[in-house]
Amino acid sequence: MKRGLMLAGIVFTVIFCLGLSSTLAQDTIKIGIVLPMTGDQAKFGEIEKLSFDLALEEINAAGRVKGKKLEFLIEDDTGRPEVGRSVVEKLITKDKVVMVGGGYSSSVTYAVAGVCQQNQMPFLVNTGAADNISTSGWDWIFRLNPPVSEYAGAIESLLKVVVKPTTAVILHENSLFGTSGAKEFEKTCERLQIKMLLKEGYEAGGIDYKPVLSKVKQLNPDIVYMISYIMDASLLMKQAKELKLAPKMFIGGAAGFTLPEFKQNAGVASERVISATLWHEVVPYPGAMDYSKKFVARYKKETEYHGAEAYAAAYVIADVLKRAKSFSNTHIKQALSETNLMTVFGPVKFVAYGKHKNQNKLPTYVVQWIDGKLELVWPAELATKKFIFPVDWNKIWGY
Amino acid sequence: MDRLLQTLVAGVLIGGIYSLIGIGMTLIMGVMGIINLAHGQLMMVAMYITFVLSSYLHLDPYFSLLVAMPALFLLGVLLQKLFLNPLMKIESILPENQVLMTVGIGMVLTEIARFIFSSDYKSVKTVYSSSVFFIGGISFNLPMCIAFFFALALTALLFWFLLKTDIGRSIRATAQDRDAATLMGVNTGKITVITFGLGSALVAAAGCLLIPIYYLFPDIGGPFTLKAFVITILGGLGSTVGAIFGGLVLGIAESLGAAYIGMGYREMVGFVIFVLVLIFLPGGLKRLTKI
Repeated sequence: MKRGLMLAGIVFTVIFCLGLSSTLAQDTIKIGIVLPMTGDQAKFGEIEKLSFDLALEEINAAGRVKGKKLEFLIEDDTGRPEVGRSVVEKLITKDKVVMVGGGYSSSVTYAVAGVCQQNQMPFLVNTGAADNISTSGWDWIFRLNPPVSEYAGAIESLLKVVVKPTTAVILHENSLFGTSGAKEFEKTCERLQIKMLLKEGYEAGGIDYKPVLSKVKQLNPDIVYMISYIMDASLLMKQAKELKLAPKMFIGGAAGFTLPEFKQNAGVASERVISATLWHEVVPYPGAMDYSKKFVARYKKETEYHGAEAYAAAYVIADVLKRAKSFSNTHIKQALSETNLMTVFGPVKFVAYGKHKNQNKLPTYVVQWIDGKLELVWPAELATKKFIFPVDWNKIWGY
Repeated sequence: MDRLLQTLVAGVLIGGIYSLIGIGMTLIMGVMGIINLAHGQLMMVAMYITFVLSSYLHLDPYFSLLVAMPALFLLGVLLQKLFLNPLMKIESILPENQVLMTVGIGMVLTEIARFIFSSDYKSVKTVYSSSVFFIGGISFNLPMCIAFFFALALTALLFWFLLKTDIGRSIRATAQDRDAATLMGVNTGKITVITFGLGSALVAAAGCLLIPIYYLFPDIGGPFTLKAFVITILGGLGSTVGAIFGGLVLGIAESLGAAYIGMGYREMVGFVIFVLVLIFLPGGLKRLTKI
């Protein structure tokens, strides 16, 4: 009898504990975040992760989502699509996340999006910019950042109004991001009746770009448009300087040209270079400057638009989960499509236009490196400094 | 014409550095018969040493050759002694488990570097980093030229060492016939250790020379391991003279390919040559030099 009672007691305790632990587990909402934490894109993955962390702390401190704590499960995609596929499969099947976020490189994001669509898992993309991510007709994929085809929007008006070039050269890394960006800029050039002299892709991570740059020098274009990640960007500018390649303007298509490391590495060769950008801490959105300051204070280094994207995405995720009727995939999807939120990265609203589906529409900006500082120069009404043009490159470079 | 000359100059200069990267791997290949797949990662370690010396002690990258080379020699010696030599005695399914070990060593080195320095890109700024001089219309990047001449000098020194010193002769003997060398009284165990150290020191030199022109992050090793591998095959496995020509050929071919076929085909040109050499000249460029 006594033994029976004890057994019943043990069984009861075990059940109680199990029940308790499962209610404890239900106290958090798990969201999977796919980012490159190792590999050569790890630098950007790190900025995004730190921004996600920063936002997560604030969200959880400011009151939970429906009484539950948010938890971001950050998985490393190593910058390779096949790894991205397998980590997101793990997040969906093993960790049972309610939605997926992150997505840095276009190639990886595209692969991850495919898996999410197949599994009917809502995926909020915050960086992967290739157009086909939102033009594939996938209804479970939502994108916060503009597609790469729109990166050059502000550049286009600047070229039209101020620079007025007649010939152009495009140099781009031969990744999904680089080639689709180059294709779009080609269309921009057609619209502005700029003659394309050369469009050339290159393998990221090269040491010596002089062969292609001397080819560009011979063609003597009005503008050189480059779509490169950070270190390729600095090497391209450094070596252009060495060859005294001096077009009317050097233009970067976002990515590498706006980062502090670009200035550190390219040195004087970074001066006066302009770049498209999606965000700058001076943009007129509430909290943009605050976010930048918080980031610097916390991590002792500067952030840039990738970080802002991640930070904004975290707030969108929290907002969506607050509004969703339940944490089922259909309700979350429903809530995502009804999003109307102001973030540090700008207003977020997912709409369909052209071939795009669930795409957030945002304006872009042009920044210029002026005396070692990145200044917003276009649109003119928001500018922090006046756009410097024309530029005497040889004088700037100290020849 | 200017463009062709500029391209050739760029190719030869980068080829010199490639040779220096390749020659260390070739040396190890010749003596031990294994491909050291941690080669690029060892270069990464040397580059971080240079970076630390330059940013905290403000030592010139070229001066840090004197620190990084001995440091990497020691690291190479330790790796060979502690991790690679013990594997030689173990029977396993794969006879090449030393090669697998080098892959592991490479990964560990990369992750240690990431742990200490994070994934940030670093570079070493010197006053001459982007200084150029012009001969005719052709621009010469000064650090690139310095690197090229250092590479030549170090290679010459290596040859003197291999041809004239006792240890050098033992290394060559071990490379030619390990068993015979052992019978002749050469301590081949010790020779492998020294060779691995020497190979590491050479690639360390390449790292120090490269850093004023290039940049640095933990994953930089992989692509250079691949470059070194291609050069080793091009040169004829284990031939040091072949490796020098292999490096130059690769540098020039890549530059010409980048200028006249397309920048995106730069790497491809290198690999096409690699495949052609394997098919038509299985002994590598060594076969043409007869040394």
